[in-house]
Amino acid sequence: MPKNITIFTTNTCAYCSMVKRWLGAKGYQYEEVNLDEHPHRQQEALAISGQLTVPITVVTKHDDSQQVVVGFNLAQLAPAVA
Amino acid sequence: MAEKVWDVIMVGAGPAALSAAIYTTREDLKTLVFEKGAVGGLAAVTDWIDNYPGFPKGVAGLEFADSLWAQAERFGTELELGEVTEIVDEGAHKRLKTTSGDFVTKTVLIATGSDYKKIGVPGEKEFYAHGVHYCATCDGAFYRDKRLVVVGGGNSAVQEAMFLTKFASHIDLLVRGDKFRASDVLQHELEKHKDKITVHFNTTTDEIVGADNKVTKVIGTDKLTGNKIEFETDGVFVFVGLSPNSAFLKNTKIELDEIGFVKTNQHLETSMPGVFAAGDIRSGATMQIASAAGEGATAALMIRQHLEGHTLSPEPSMVSN
Repeated sequence: MPKNITIFTTNTCAYCSMVKRWLGAKGYQYEEVNLDEHPHRQQEALAISGQLTVPITVVTKHDDSQQVVVGFNLAQLAPAVA
Repeated sequence: MAEKVWDVIMVGAGPAALSAAIYTTREDLKTLVFEKGAVGGLAAVTDWIDNYPGFPKGVAGLEFADSLWAQAERFGTELELGEVTEIVDEGAHKRLKTTSGDFVTKTVLIATGSDYKKIGVPGEKEFYAHGVHYCATCDGAFYRDKRLVVVGGGNSAVQEAMFLTKFASHIDLLVRGDKFRASDVLQHELEKHKDKITVHFNTTTDEIVGADNKVTKVIGTDKLTGNKIEFETDGVFVFVGLSPNSAFLKNTKIELDEIGFVKTNQHLETSMPGVFAAGDIRSGATMQIASAAGEGATAALMIRQHLEGHTLSPEPSMVSN
């Protein structure tokens, strides 16, 4: 179980819903940063992922290392949170 | 231990699959839906759906998708998030090779839909997600007060261009033909956005140019004059048609048409007995959400007949309620 999971989302992003649905089904807690509600955090999202897209999932491990998964990509997301 | 055998597995979770699942689960058929992307498919990433019957004021794509899933789930549809990589014909049963392991089922509904085509110009691949996008509802929020180019002249291009006016300061809409393929209703709506959207007919998109991971302009050609035109922009959204999500069938003996859509007979059954197809992935589909839902319902009834051991007649038969 990771130390922390943060997801950058928007209101209309279907793939964001899928990431939340998958994490929820697996019992993971996460913090959501909705960029429609917090547009000032867009630069932070861009700096983290290097891409102009959501969802961005930031998985922080217990050693404080981070893994970033862009999009709804189970092949990356599943091992990242394991 | 014996493997669990499903009555039907839907590959894809768009309107066709979920409509079929509502029918099959109401018939007590054990139904599993496989999805590798968004539940609701392309409908879920569409800003607004105005032509689906029963929604007099229209409905947001994501809300529509959530409602479809809630209805399918209410009757017992199960969802597996993962990717099907092959369908193996084992006679009475089909084995699905997936990223979540093998699944065995009596019947399959292929409803993987389609995805937005690429235009295939220089810069498109290099700047993907760095200024080139195919999902306005996902990525539009990054373009507040920025200039955008939207490429395409069909319903999706016009609809999503209008959605992007929520964010962008100005949009150049590049249409290769001399008129829109979009519906008259959408074209009429577009008129209301002419302060923000400039339409350029007869304009090809030739190159997407940028530097330092940022798009700066699109170079096109005015087909009437042959002159090159440059459009200064911060991003490009591409909606130039649909291509079938059938790559996962490359190792499966199911007949596709020349473009890659799945061929079916009049019962929506593919060349592999017990495997059906419905919605955008089906060769000859009309690419409409309402049609996909209707095909899903029809496929469910055909699947039920197949499971009951009925021989499907060569001609379409009446199906009573």
